Amino acid sequence: MDDGVILQVEGLSKTYMQGKIPVHALRGVSLSVKKGEMVAIMGPSGSGKSTLMALVGCLEKATSGKIVIDGVDVTTAPDKRLPRIRREKLGFVFQHYNLLTALSAISNVELAMRFSKVSKRERLDRAKSLLVNLGLGNRLKHKPTELSGGEQQRVSIARAIANRPAIVLADEPTGEVDSKTRDAIIEIFESLRAQGQTVIIVTHDQYVADRCDRTIRIIDGGIADAESV
Amino acid sequence: MLDIIIRNATQRKVRTGLTITGIALGIFALVVMGAMSENFNQTFEKSMSLTSESIRVFPEIGVFGGGLTTGKVAEVKRVPGVKDAYGLITTSFDEGHGGMGGKQVMGIPPEKSQLALNPVKLQSGRFLQPGDKYLTVVGASIAGEFDLQVGSKLEIHDKNFTVVGIMEYTGSFFDNVATMPLETAQDLYNFDNSLSTIFAIAQDGVDEELLAKRIEFSVKGTSTISPSELREQASQSLLIFSVITVSSALLAAIIGGLSVMNTMLMSVIERTREFGILKAMGAETKDILLMTLGEAAIMGVAGGLVGIGFGSLLTHVLNSWLSTQGIVLFMITPRLIVVAMLFATIIGMVSGLYPAYRAAKMSPMEALRHG
Repeated sequence: MDDGVILQVEGLSKTYMQGKIPVHALRGVSLSVKKGEMVAIMGPSGSGKSTLMALVGCLEKATSGKIVIDGVDVTTAPDKRLPRIRREKLGFVFQHYNLLTALSAISNVELAMRFSKVSKRERLDRAKSLLVNLGLGNRLKHKPTELSGGEQQRVSIARAIANRPAIVLADEPTGEVDSKTRDAIIEIFESLRAQGQTVIIVTHDQYVADRCDRTIRIIDGGIADAESV
Repeated sequence: MLDIIIRNATQRKVRTGLTITGIALGIFALVVMGAMSENFNQTFEKSMSLTSESIRVFPEIGVFGGGLTTGKVAEVKRVPGVKDAYGLITTSFDEGHGGMGGKQVMGIPPEKSQLALNPVKLQSGRFLQPGDKYLTVVGASIAGEFDLQVGSKLEIHDKNFTVVGIMEYTGSFFDNVATMPLETAQDLYNFDNSLSTIFAIAQDGVDEELLAKRIEFSVKGTSTISPSELREQASQSLLIFSVITVSSALLAAIIGGLSVMNTMLMSVIERTREFGILKAMGAETKDILLMTLGEAAIMGVAGGLVGIGFGSLLTHVLNSWLSTQGIVLFMITPRLIVVAMLFATIIGMVSGLYPAYRAAKMSPMEALRHG
């Protein structure tokens, strides 16, 4: 792997079975992302971009191909090692935030670090510091239902970066928010990039893609082109 | 992790409450029935330890069998190896309140009074003596029930008896016995010279099994039960009783366990997306298992505590009420509480195993797509 490449995908394919009919969601996708890059993945609905994110995120197994994250070939890693890869190498930001509704903002962020065996004091300190940095210092004890969409997404971002992952994977992170909040979220991702964090964003929004370093377009399970900003 | 488990269990209060109630009912049944079984066990064991040293001689059942009479006592005494023998009658103290926990009247020869009651000690007064007529030595429960002291009057079968002795509490059937001279009892209940049982005591070094057979062979119209046979028969009866009571209670507890399984399955289905999120955050299979099983175990423990609490309360209330009748029906022992608590926890966890397995084995993406 080249120096500075944090994600290498080679010939990645995913085929689902719908009953007896095979559906080829991804067909031999290859790409690479460098450390500190902010990359947009765009494509029409059903093009395979979310499948690509799920495979890179080790949430699903590829049918064939290879994914190397931060030097670790996750496609050959045994199933029992995948949770560790997810918590050490990856952070997820979802379109619908996916916060645990029974927990406060700080508990949602802190929970992500529990599985990494971080001490309680450090978990709480780090969660608080992240939320304060994202402008949620006065919303620490609020539950998700008491937060706006933008605030929930900021909690979700704080949770994603809590374990200091190699890559943040954001699936339509601005899909549920207004344009002002969208700007605020993009700015957060930009500031993360400035700190050397790699961010991959799946989006339908050209405005978001334009703010990224480059865009990878996926159509019918394959890469259509790649463009740099 | 415990805080998450408790949070999950308390998040859906009504459902968790109903599940805990289901287990609590099962454990309640287990405690009440178990307490009854424990009481009988203890009473039998204590009674056996107090009386099992003698060979019991009964009238032979069948066409050629006849009743036991005082004359047979002399015949038993003549059998080689018999050190001593005496006959007695036992009957219900009050015909309306006989049965398992009921009071008994025991007519014993006054000169054998101390021997028959051995090793029971007196808390006050004296044993029956030759020449006594309408005098009685009563057990601790009877004394308590009728508020008797030495010198008190006690009406038995329409006759006034004077209490001359009160036995110490033994936890056995002796607590519910009023002893009187054999002849007085025979007159009072129109037994003529009939006896209920003859007790034979073996000489030192004589094999009681063989002696029992020898008595049966030598004294026509009798059958015997040796101490070891008596123990065997008693433990078999107790075992049957315990199996009936405990299995009915277990059934109730298993039904409680099914309600945990139902709740946990519902909970797992409802929280499928949550498990997906946790897995995306790096939760391991064991974390999800621990979370789900822990919740089931907590419901089991809570159900166990509630069931044991209410079971103990009911048995206490019933015992207090029944004590006015001289009956003790339930006994809560540490063993019973430990068994009930373990059973509640295990049933909660076993019932949570399948839902936990389902939750743990779910693919993260499949779980995230849910709902």
